[in-house]
Amino acid sequence: MSTGTGASDLLHAEDSGLDQMVRGEQAVAARSPLQLFWRRFRRDKVAMTALVFIGILILVAIFAGPITRLFGAPAPNVQQTSALDSFGLPSGPSSEHLFGVDPLGRDVFSRVLYGAQVSLTVAFIGTGMSVVIGVILGTIAAYYRRWVDTVIARTLDVMLAFPVLLLGLGLATACSGEDGCVGGLIQPGLSVVIAIIVIANTPYVARIIRGQVLSLREKEFVEASRSLGASNTRIMFRDILPNLVAPIIVYATLFIPANILLEAALSFLGVGVQPPRASWGDMLSDAVSIFDSAWWFMFFPGMALLLTVLAFNLVGDGLQDALNPKSTKSS
Amino acid sequence: MRRSFNWTLILSVLLALTLGVAACGDDEGDEGGEQGTSQGTPAEGKKGGTLTALWTDDVDNIDCGITYYQMGFQVCSATQKALYGYEPGDAVNAVPDLAESDPQISEDGKTVTVTIKSGVMFSPPVDREVTSADVKYAIERGFFNTINNGYAGAYLGDIEGAEVGADPGTEIPGIETPDDRTIVFNLAKGTGGTLVGALALPLSAPVPKEYAQEFDKQQPSAYGQNQVATGPYMIENDESGKAIGYQAGRRIHLVRNPNWNAETDFRPAYVDEIDMPQGNDDTTVASRKILEGQSMINGDFDPDPAILKQVVSNQEELLTLIPGGAGRWIAMNTTIPPFDNVDLRRAVVAGFDREAMRLTRGGELIGDIPTHIIPPEMPGFEEAGGLEGPGIDFMSNPAGDTELSAEYFRKAGYESGKYDGTEEILMVGTSDGVAQKAAEVAKENFEKMGFKIRLRLVTQDSMYTKFCNEPKAKVAICPNVGWLKDFSDPQTYLDPTFNGDNILETGNVNWSQLDVPELNQEMNEAKLLTDPQERADAWAEIDRKVTELAPAVFWLWDKSPTIRSENVIGAASGYIGTWDLSFTSVN
Amino acid sequence: MAAYIVRRLLWVIFLLFVVTLVTFTVFTVLPAADPAVLRAGRQPSPELVASIREQFGLDDPYIVQFLRYIGDILPFLGGDGFNFGYSYQSNQEVLPQILDRLPATMFLTVGAVVLWLSIGIPIGMISAVKTGSWLDRLTMGLALIAISAPVYFLGLVALFLFDDSIGRFPLLPGSGAYQDAENVLGKAEALIMPWCVLAAAFAAIYARFLRGNLIDTMQEDYIRTARAKGLSERRVIFRHGVRSAITPIVTLLGLDIGILLGGAILTETVFNIQGIGRFAYEAIVRFDLPVIQGTVLFGAFFIVIMSLLVDILYAFIDPRVRY
Repeated sequence: MSTGTGASDLLHAEDSGLDQMVRGEQAVAARSPLQLFWRRFRRDKVAMTALVFIGILILVAIFAGPITRLFGAPAPNVQQTSALDSFGLPSGPSSEHLFGVDPLGRDVFSRVLYGAQVSLTVAFIGTGMSVVIGVILGTIAAYYRRWVDTVIARTLDVMLAFPVLLLGLGLATACSGEDGCVGGLIQPGLSVVIAIIVIANTPYVARIIRGQVLSLREKEFVEASRSLGASNTRIMFRDILPNLVAPIIVYATLFIPANILLEAALSFLGVGVQPPRASWGDMLSDAVSIFDSAWWFMFFPGMALLLTVLAFNLVGDGLQDALNPKSTKSS
Repeated sequence: MRRSFNWTLILSVLLALTLGVAACGDDEGDEGGEQGTSQGTPAEGKKGGTLTALWTDDVDNIDCGITYYQMGFQVCSATQKALYGYEPGDAVNAVPDLAESDPQISEDGKTVTVTIKSGVMFSPPVDREVTSADVKYAIERGFFNTINNGYAGAYLGDIEGAEVGADPGTEIPGIETPDDRTIVFNLAKGTGGTLVGALALPLSAPVPKEYAQEFDKQQPSAYGQNQVATGPYMIENDESGKAIGYQAGRRIHLVRNPNWNAETDFRPAYVDEIDMPQGNDDTTVASRKILEGQSMINGDFDPDPAILKQVVSNQEELLTLIPGGAGRWIAMNTTIPPFDNVDLRRAVVAGFDREAMRLTRGGELIGDIPTHIIPPEMPGFEEAGGLEGPGIDFMSNPAGDTELSAEYFRKAGYESGKYDGTEEILMVGTSDGVAQKAAEVAKENFEKMGFKIRLRLVTQDSMYTKFCNEPKAKVAICPNVGWLKDFSDPQTYLDPTFNGDNILETGNVNWSQLDVPELNQEMNEAKLLTDPQERADAWAEIDRKVTELAPAVFWLWDKSPTIRSENVIGAASGYIGTWDLSFTSVN
Repeated sequence: MAAYIVRRLLWVIFLLFVVTLVTFTVFTVLPAADPAVLRAGRQPSPELVASIREQFGLDDPYIVQFLRYIGDILPFLGGDGFNFGYSYQSNQEVLPQILDRLPATMFLTVGAVVLWLSIGIPIGMISAVKTGSWLDRLTMGLALIAISAPVYFLGLVALFLFDDSIGRFPLLPGSGAYQDAENVLGKAEALIMPWCVLAAAFAAIYARFLRGNLIDTMQEDYIRTARAKGLSERRVIFRHGVRSAITPIVTLLGLDIGILLGGAILTETVFNIQGIGRFAYEAIVRFDLPVIQGTVLFGAFFIVIMSLLVDILYAFIDPRVRY
């Protein structure tokens, strides 16, 4: 997983305000770095469009039910054999079924809309959890150094050595037994996918944060705090953590699309969310055997995935550019 | 669909010798050579050429003493001469293959005597004549713990002194070889009628002890990779005997067996070489290659519905449908409420849309909707009512009859005409391929009738070994199960699956856990019958009784679709459920 | 330097040991299918299952099974070593089967790497130099799309359009063509679509990455100094800019190659290439533990070795790195 341009020194955020003031481009009234960042982001039209798209997507995911009813489409799990021919082959887009049906006679339009729920839920929760755990591990490792650092860093290395998809497959298969894993906490379906996302992402997050904290802890303000007698936890929370917010946000938005793809890949391989729940990856895997005759089944879920991931990538790019004004806009 | 690992699609059809017909002297099953259609023995085939069969997966095992699945059986029927075999046109009556004539069964069913032909030779590097001792060793090795044959215990376990898990080299005193061409089986129980059926299975194909015993001592046995042949074909090997023609997971390559004597065999063996490349996972592409190419047939997969549609409209003659003595059903666990109520089960069967189930696999073309249990082309099928069935009302409506269903629900005590319980019922299905769709359709059907279903989809292997075949997993519904006869005797279809005595703690295939003492008794008595017609009648009666108890929703009697290139004159064997390699030829 | 290499090698061995241990645990201690019952066939009697369990040593304590596995692999502990066990399904040896499928994965990986480097790096450089131009916007836009599409979707679309038997514009051999091909040229032709599909996302990532790094680097003071010294722009870019921007690319490349060699499951699935990824996937679905362990071990091995090679390479490229 590579994360695009390195937003290496995010303390530039403060510099930029100074920059503009010196050049006399704006009123002397000070603006917080957050406001400045937002202004810059707003000027990036492409990123804003992507943000709006994501907003729409979230709404679609939440209101998938009413929307499908509005369009007159059947519920996503309703099997209509009338839409299949005598060989059991699905029919294509028609006035009744906007995007056609799948091999079980279920409406593809509905399923694409409901699929958004899965993709977004998994991506947000999974990314959120990995970020939290990764930040904690990375901060502790970098702050305390020595053996704590070594143990944590080495453990992360081990996790990075695993072929992720294989391990994910294995975990999902192994936990499909009667009681699942971890006392029933991890069962086939959403929980397994989230677990795999966490395992796959945490090492990256932790490593990046560790690098950040390693440089941050040498800064003067930290030393100042320490000389004032602040406890370690206080320093970590009050001084270091706030400076991590910006990179955390940026990396989170970069990981979300990757995790959407990871969930889709797992569903594609058959170990994602359990049917009959609609998932874009699952639909694409069904499409593999019939894509030359039933093109709609490959096209619509695939485009949904592509557009969603694209939108998140654009927003991520926009955020990075907004936070690091030295780099010119990328597109 | 990966045929070789799909339990429910295993068409390892072994036709039992019709027992006792030998005693009446009437049995002849060797009318090969007249039909000329691709559904039987071809009239005349051109000798020569190479036949290519496209496979997706490998055989379960290349050793003919271990394999227990269709594709392994197909290969072994070309490379080995078991005691008995089948011709493509007749899936019911076995013909002597290595044996010279039909087996002799004693009155009490405890002794079976078989005489073998002379002049049958092992392929290089063994290069000698087959004797009865080779058959004895072949069967003994099935019990070795380095081999662990899957059906040895089930069908040959009654031979005196036979014990599963024996050390390599252990002899079975119950198998006697008074001379080089005679084998006598002494049984502890009177199940000789069952034993003779099993003698058509590849385990009875001779194995040279002096050559194989070194390999059989290894754990696991390495004989498969070094095997010799007695049939018209052999796996290509080098001088030391190593089967270089078998590349695990890649390819099986058969060449002619130079020591095969056509006069000792009913097979014509037209082609010179048979190539079976594996890894053709995209079955649509593979099917197209076969239909548009030359000299090819399908191997271990069924062409999918899109291909079927195309073939039926343009090139119908390239498609052959083979009923194979296989069926599928949705098992309801009779030990878990509410499925312990027989009227409720009948209500479920009555209201089930079985046509929708069949549609997931391709529709009408791929099979009939059952009206009872024993499938077509098996003894006992006609006796049990044939396609029409014995007239059981809840089995008569393929698309489901809501009113009849409601009636039965009311009889079961549900006034509303549907199930009104609120508990979640566990259904475990497979996530593999087409079968997954069947599971989902099944769930839908149950839910329409008011059940709340929790569907768990796992890999097929997991489904069998951890859920459906394990009573302690307490799975209420198993929608992806089915069965395949082992040989042409209705006992092999009904006994393991519905006899209460066969409910195992692990590896159980009586998925409904049906355990009715009178029925069990009836089945156990039927096993001891030696007259084939009596057997057919007895099991047909059992069929009817089991069907009436509605332990499952029987939704398909499979017909295997097979395809070929236009220059292939194919011979489809009901025995194996696919093409017979020794009878197929290319133009 | 030598001491560093030795230390790292020891770490590699330790890492592989841990990977094996975890894999073993996942598939043995958390069993979701019982291999003995699987192998027993359709009517497993308790005696048969017991015999099979003994045959495969499944009743021994987990530690013993694990140590036995390790012992069989290592060459100097009594046996011949390099025995990765026998597949539960086919009873065939695992190692030859893996080695048999390795060339396909390697060919796929190498081809894709060459393709994405030859596309991604020049694009990255050009875009960095001509920031904001329409060329820059176009390529970066395409790159974003390439990253956003799942590889199997791209694969399916490619097959749908260009597969020579079913595509709308029949051009290239499609799914399954790889194993039919007889010679290297034929195999290469069969891999054109997979290479393109696999390389697309990576090329995009590398282009963006290089672009970002190069832009950052070009703003460093020493670049300004070089310009001030009167060096030609080209020299500035290549001698100074690219050199320092390239090092993280090398790390990334090492990691990516390692991962792909472990098996590009998704690409191999869509295009039906019998590589290690596909083999591993099938084994996982069948619960064939020896094969699973073998393939995961190979996968981890490649990742870790490539990582080591990259680190060593670093020491040569970047004089600042001291060990």
